[in-house]
Amino acid sequence: MDIDTTIDEKIMGLIAESVPSKFKKNTITPATHLRRELGMDSIGILSFVFRFEKAFGIDLSKTNFHVDMSEIRTAGDAVNLARKVIEQSQPANGA
Amino acid sequence: MAEPNDIRVIIDSHCHIASQEFYPNSFIQGSVGNMLQVLTAQGIPATKKSLCGMFEQTLQDPCCDILVSEMAEAGIAKSVLLIADFSYALKDCKLTIEESFNKHRAVLARHPGKFDVFGGIDPRWGQDGLALFERSLTEFGFCGFKIYPPCGFSPSDPALFPYYELCAYHQIPVVLHQGPTSPALSFDVSNPFLLDEAARRFPAVNFVLAHGSVSFIEECSMMCRYRPNVYMDLSGFQTFTGDRMITGVRNAVTQGLNHKILFGTDWPVFRLQGSQKNFVSVLVDEDEGALSQLSDAEKDLILHGNLKRLLQEKADAPASRKNAEAHECM
Repeated sequence: MDIDTTIDEKIMGLIAESVPSKFKKNTITPATHLRRELGMDSIGILSFVFRFEKAFGIDLSKTNFHVDMSEIRTAGDAVNLARKVIEQSQPANGA
Repeated sequence: MAEPNDIRVIIDSHCHIASQEFYPNSFIQGSVGNMLQVLTAQGIPATKKSLCGMFEQTLQDPCCDILVSEMAEAGIAKSVLLIADFSYALKDCKLTIEESFNKHRAVLARHPGKFDVFGGIDPRWGQDGLALFERSLTEFGFCGFKIYPPCGFSPSDPALFPYYELCAYHQIPVVLHQGPTSPALSFDVSNPFLLDEAARRFPAVNFVLAHGSVSFIEECSMMCRYRPNVYMDLSGFQTFTGDRMITGVRNAVTQGLNHKILFGTDWPVFRLQGSQKNFVSVLVDEDEGALSQLSDAEKDLILHGNLKRLLQEKADAPASRKNAEAHECM
């Protein structure tokens, strides 16, 4: 398993943690719609973002990366966005 | 899943300019405080500062360029910008109400044909407020009145009657917030039944109860059913999630009241949850949308027909609408 796959799985795990209990049994794939299929409202999306910050040690407010929450529609969107943030944060975090 | 039908005309009856200028910090901090409670109770490491930062990201469109782009993507032909006047109740407003009106005037001029504006004034501003409101109708091109009772007044407060007289004269509708809002404001004057006296005294004025499928749902339905001049909008339907978002709207539109219901999104309040296209899709998706079981005629009433009818009356009003003069946005 390569590093990218591990990161993707970790992010998918954070999404799963942020899903309201009523929707916990739903299978999550990259195409799964966060709001419609997983019942994630703004609180759910924010939960994911804060969990992501903690898990990867990133403070979004201290990065130059502008996260447009409205662009996070599917689990795949969340993974892609999270990966971009991680990639951009690496130089600032040091090796 | 089918895409939204882009042939159907859609008018969003409930939007606001997405800019921090129009939201006092006390208003935002109150709303964020409630969110913070939910998150911290779940053990999520959120802070008020970080939450405010995310909220602020959704309020960076002072000229409505992003909104216009999202409207195009969603198939929304026009949106109504509502001005909520917090300036009497909350003392940390960044703009005076006149400055706020001018900013809206500039947006109207910047995006011709894309917006209508309903001016909002706290009735406790007295004659100055009334004069500004009248100018908004005769000079600025505004075509409605917005009130925000949680600022601390009833929608049947006699101080509003001169405004309603102007609304009757100019044949324009009144939109009022109903239901709880930011904890910085009062909830005890947010019940839609408080509108009843005004609706009875001013039968020539049409009143729209905002968020009728979210707060005081039964009361809003009763008011719409029995008061001929009371309507409601669906804005805030995104408050509910998953299936409940669709069933909430479906419940509202299966009561035989579709001649009284207006589509609205409450942009930018739910930007963290999705785009205008997402929200339109929740309603108009041909297979699963909340309106999918309605006839085309009923869909059209909700999506644009009812609002057009309310605004059409303005066409015969004594003071015709004038084009907004060009002002610099920002």
